[in-house]
Amino acid sequence: MAALQTSAPPAPSRRQARPRGRNKRTLAQRLRHDWPLLLLTLPALAQLAVFFYWPSAWNIIAFMDYSPHRPFWENPFVGFAWFERLFANPYFLPALLNTLKYAFANLLFLFPLSIVLALVMHSVVSTKVRSLFQSVVYLPYFFSWVLVVTVFVQTLGSDGLVSNWLLDFGGERLTFTSNPDSFLFLAWLQWAWKDAGWGMIIFLAALASINPSLYEAAAVDGASRWRRMWHITLPGIRPVIVLLLILHIGGILNVGFEQYQLQRNAVGYQTTEVLDTFVYYRSVIGTEGPSFGTAAGLFKGVIGLILVLVANNVAHRLGEQGIYQKS
Amino acid sequence: MTATDIRLKPRRRSARPVWDEEPSWLGKTVKAIFLICYAAAIVLPIWAVVATSFASEEALARAGGNLLLLPTDLSLQAYHEIFDGGALTRSLLLTLGLTAGGTALSMVLTIGAAYGLSRPGSLLHRPLLMLVLFTFLFAPGLYPSFLVVQKLGLFDNYLSLVLPMALNAFNLIVLRSFFMNSVPNELLDAARMDGAGEFRTLFKIVLPMSKAILAVIALFYAVGYWNIYFSAVLYIPGLDTQPIQVVLQRMLMSTQGLPGAAADVSQYQTQAPDSALKMAVVVCTIVPIVIMYPFIQKHFTKAVITGAIKG
Repeated sequence: MAALQTSAPPAPSRRQARPRGRNKRTLAQRLRHDWPLLLLTLPALAQLAVFFYWPSAWNIIAFMDYSPHRPFWENPFVGFAWFERLFANPYFLPALLNTLKYAFANLLFLFPLSIVLALVMHSVVSTKVRSLFQSVVYLPYFFSWVLVVTVFVQTLGSDGLVSNWLLDFGGERLTFTSNPDSFLFLAWLQWAWKDAGWGMIIFLAALASINPSLYEAAAVDGASRWRRMWHITLPGIRPVIVLLLILHIGGILNVGFEQYQLQRNAVGYQTTEVLDTFVYYRSVIGTEGPSFGTAAGLFKGVIGLILVLVANNVAHRLGEQGIYQKS
Repeated sequence: MTATDIRLKPRRRSARPVWDEEPSWLGKTVKAIFLICYAAAIVLPIWAVVATSFASEEALARAGGNLLLLPTDLSLQAYHEIFDGGALTRSLLLTLGLTAGGTALSMVLTIGAAYGLSRPGSLLHRPLLMLVLFTFLFAPGLYPSFLVVQKLGLFDNYLSLVLPMALNAFNLIVLRSFFMNSVPNELLDAARMDGAGEFRTLFKIVLPMSKAILAVIALFYAVGYWNIYFSAVLYIPGLDTQPIQVVLQRMLMSTQGLPGAAADVSQYQTQAPDSALKMAVVVCTIVPIVIMYPFIQKHFTKAVITGAIKG
């Protein structure tokens, strides 16, 4: 299993094919042979153990009445009581619905936009125009959300650049950086500004891997530009589309924290509350306590795990490779 | 000049294959307008930010807004204030230090594990790889991570900005597949025959051959550390010197006149106009990225995409 497994099946690893008969050796012999590899892996494993597996194990407190003020083993198990409390919380369901709303909006909007951008770029013949445009569109991907939100407020905010132009021409100030009703539109603009270039680069790489002789053969057979796109280009990038869809669906409750937290004060918490901000504001700095926040996080983690497994399974059934593959 | 030369000229200028028909002028115009508008929507705000950071008080007052496109009289006041040794300077230095230290640590972890896990069949190879890959499927959650940082005594400690995010499993897997697929096996065998151990092989053969992808991965880590915001909000709310993104967020909150500006912003401001100072901070956070950017551009498609797609 490897991340981003696409297109052609990878060549079998050469090292695997070597007739070494490692399995016949004793453990001590293998240890004597492989200890440098283990030693090199150790620091990374230690990091994972401390900052991934240890917190993962702490999820157990979602089933306990945990208090940091008493020894761990004195905390009583309470079953699913915290989850019941979570679902009864008046702010939880809106946060969950918001999360799903932004995740699907992102999926439905950013995906097609990235593909369209990539197709347009692919059809531009001049390499100079291509590399210039690519550099420009891809740059904001590396900007932080703080920077993106700041730039948006300064340009499109009520005191911003565009508002001033509108005032000069007798119009009114823009208010939509602080209007809860238009937040989804604002979020779309921010995704397009920040992330569309990244998607474009990935799809461009997929497009570049399509064999050009296919296009030539189709053109010689009289297929028009549009037919070539429909019958060659889109099937050619289908594995990448499926793969990215799976990754997106697995992370669908993972819409990120910063974009929403940063605009919480301007737009209001009702609109910008997603699961991560819910945990942070209700539990980490709020009054609901550790077990409650952990239950909310565990709910999110488990749903994400199930979603990615299901999506990958569906992809396999549809004859795609998905992300799981023995490597 | 012969007739053939003349006929070839336009074709040489565009690389359009012979079988591909020339698009209609309408299609070309629509495409050009689309691309120009898209690029302008990205470039213009960035340009306005840079222009405003050099604006003087009068120029800003005349424009009557937060941003302007052409600074009439240039002023370096804002930059003087950023680099005068005050709170902003400390914040920039802190962020630089975090970026440098964090990237170095991340590279050590990533390279070690990528090489250590690049031999299928070695001792414990499969279970260890599974431990890494499982991190793609599950996330431990915000609160438990917070709890662990507290238990380790890293709360309100700058180490909490680096250690929890020191390893990115995706980078590890990309580098591992590069080691497995792109470093010729014959070279490794030859080194072994000559009696080189694993460490020697790694430092003398594998790493020098992977410079491009190592640089790209290092830059991705560096951008991650440079953009640290959430971890700082979560783990070091009590410290005086905050990463530059947190400072920028506080300044933004204060100009929007919103409640929730977490700390007193006056420590950052003295003489320069408010907008100019803020935009100068924005420029300072953009500049390192723009400097690194051509390099990422050059190697990105080559290194990361091929590494990733080959799996």
